[in-house]
Amino acid sequence: MALLQISEPGQTPEPHARKRAVGIDLGTTNSLVATVRSGTAESLPAEDGRVILPSAVRYTEAGIEVGYAARAAAGDDPYNTLISIKRFMGRGLADIKNFGDQLPYHFADQSSESGAGMPVIETVSGAVNPVQVSAEILKALAKRGADSLGGPLDGAVITVPAYFDEAQRQATKDAAKLAGLKVLRLLNEPTAAAVAYGLDKPEQGGDVADKTIAVYDLGGGTFDISILRLSKGVFEVLSTGGDSALGGDDFDRAVAEWIAAEAGLGTDHDAATQRKLLNTACAAKEALASESAVPVSYGSWSAELNRDKLAELLDPLIAKTLRACKRALRDAGLSAEEVAEVVLVGGSTRTLRVREKVQEFFGRDPHADIDPDQVVAIGAALQADVLVGNKSREDLLLLDVIPLSLGIETMGGLTEKLIHRNTTIPVAKAQEFTTFKDGQTAMAIHVVQGERELVQDCRSLARFELRGIPPMVAGAAHIRVTFQVDADGLLSVTAMEKSSGVQAEITVKPSYGLGDSDITRMLQDSYAKAEEDIAARALREAQVEAERTLEAMLVALQENGAELLDENELDQLERAMQALRLAHNGGTAEEIRSRIEELNALSEPFAARRMDKSIKRAMQGHSLDEFDKP
Amino acid sequence: MHAGLFVMGLSMELQQNHFEIFGLPVSYQVDRPALAKRYRELQQEFHPDRFAAKSEREQMLSMQYAAQINEANNTLKDPVARAAYLLKLAGVEINPEQTTADGEFLMQQMILRERLEDVRAAADPESELEDLGSEASSLFKTQESAFSAALDNRALEDARSALLKLQFLAKLQRQIEELEEDLLD
Repeated sequence: MALLQISEPGQTPEPHARKRAVGIDLGTTNSLVATVRSGTAESLPAEDGRVILPSAVRYTEAGIEVGYAARAAAGDDPYNTLISIKRFMGRGLADIKNFGDQLPYHFADQSSESGAGMPVIETVSGAVNPVQVSAEILKALAKRGADSLGGPLDGAVITVPAYFDEAQRQATKDAAKLAGLKVLRLLNEPTAAAVAYGLDKPEQGGDVADKTIAVYDLGGGTFDISILRLSKGVFEVLSTGGDSALGGDDFDRAVAEWIAAEAGLGTDHDAATQRKLLNTACAAKEALASESAVPVSYGSWSAELNRDKLAELLDPLIAKTLRACKRALRDAGLSAEEVAEVVLVGGSTRTLRVREKVQEFFGRDPHADIDPDQVVAIGAALQADVLVGNKSREDLLLLDVIPLSLGIETMGGLTEKLIHRNTTIPVAKAQEFTTFKDGQTAMAIHVVQGERELVQDCRSLARFELRGIPPMVAGAAHIRVTFQVDADGLLSVTAMEKSSGVQAEITVKPSYGLGDSDITRMLQDSYAKAEEDIAARALREAQVEAERTLEAMLVALQENGAELLDENELDQLERAMQALRLAHNGGTAEEIRSRIEELNALSEPFAARRMDKSIKRAMQGHSLDEFDKP
Repeated sequence: MHAGLFVMGLSMELQQNHFEIFGLPVSYQVDRPALAKRYRELQQEFHPDRFAAKSEREQMLSMQYAAQINEANNTLKDPVARAAYLLKLAGVEINPEQTTADGEFLMQQMILRERLEDVRAAADPESELEDLGSEASSLFKTQESAFSAALDNRALEDARSALLKLQFLAKLQRQIEELEEDLLD
């Protein structure tokens, strides 16, 4: 009789039962795929040996090209070659038109009913949307992974920027679905980078202590900072921050402006001159990583650029990133000295001055050994290996936070936050709301994301309605709104009226509509405009209260104004109401408040008489006469 | 079946209060290191990543429980939220718009706020702000002790009054921090 074999927990019984899992860095400019083989993570190369896949997709009559070939064709075939498509993910056409730069694409005019459609681009092989284009990039990477691992993939971890909102994460997941990939997890890019450095592994001869890690990610066009805490294999994101409009391209621009000024070219150049200036600037910047000074020339002008001068040009930009670091540290409740490890990510961290300033700010040498372009994909591969079940469960756990607050619109266009930013996910929060009008049977729920006080300044995520609320007096219905955010940062919302059990729910799909202002900028605006917000909020609150007061008064007057008031009283009340209406339509919050108070004071006797009458009516069941007699 | 047992255990655990989740005594004094340790242990166990390869039903339940663990952790970590939760357990609900009626306390708050408004104009704004900060945090500690003692003695009305003051002081501390950040920039 054969003995039954029992494997130890956490170990796979047979080597070939190992699952095929990859990590994918789906970048704006470049994408990569990596996997874990024989215990180490490595980026997977294409047949030509290059690991980077440019995030470019070209549609031709013959078929679809992805990568270097597509990017090379961008100049000759701009309308059919889509680059930097990541910027369009989860965005509406209106957002994209506000991006400011000239986009060569032919956008199809697809105005849906809500005026909120996904942008659609006309190409020679038909119309495509950003999710489809991203799916082509993912397909190419998945194929590379499957070829290399010898079979179809069991799952993938795909990285997204920490600042990606709901809509952008959802779009990324949709693209993966379209590419036929099973998403094990959407992972924040900086978190992946920390994982790549294996900061969870014990140091030689030592134990793993609790420690705080800062991930400084400076790419071509964006900056991200994340503060993580690591404790016995658990990575916890404490806070994230950044600037989605700051990166190495700004460095090039700063150097180019200096060249233009020194060479007497003025500030207004055509596109070709600007391109040439930027190339010259970029080359000089890169050369200064190994040289202390380099010659720079443009046309007949030439001069020397040294590290001191470069530092002078870049420091204001680097200082902006450090301010974001300070803010993220504050959100995490930490000081720079408490950070034990600093990780550098993104091609722009190759610039020496960046390393110096980061070193100075945190007071320690940053990790920079892994290629900053590959580090995110490598971390994603390590996490994919754990999630798919190849590695024992004790190894690694990543706790993420949501980058922006989630809330709903309340009366007067104000935001009521249900879940605050930097809350660890998954999370569920419920809050009760009530009806505004008597007999109200439906309630519109508008879900928004952002830090600002007014709904119009936040990103609209979704709208839905709760119908069938039993008619009650204003304020009597109890509507419980529940927000649930899963581990990927995707939101679902349910609303329920408690007495009747009537329910409505929605999984948030992008509803687009905001300008080009992306999250990080919205976040920063919320700091800059905090004061303005408070004033705007006060005004709006006063207006809402005015509306409420006026409506209540009108209803009361209709009911028994003629019965309970004499002509003089009626006249006075009507004049006070008119004064309030005027203040509401153009007065300050203070003016509105004092008009409300005047009206309230004036209507006090009326209110008392109405109260008397109600009490009497309530007593009618017994014996009205009893109470009526003097 | 193991999975079935697990599902049952999970739905039972959803009934626990925030302190029970972490195996901590129901008290204002919280052993922070123990909380942090237990929190991570529970997430290791119940986080949806642990169920990435499991059934949808289990994924759903793990998400719900992980969410509850997070909520409990956030509540217990935050001194004001923790106080409000303890009062709620004791049957006292606090309306967010409620405010303290202690005239002396309100007067003191007004003075502190006026000082905060004048910080920018001060000769040395940073040290003035630092003074304000340490004053606010010592007032906060005083009210924390008052809350804790009142709760232990089941003097719920006193506890409620201390909580209202804690809310006030927490707001002041936030404003001090915001101003500090503005000054840094």
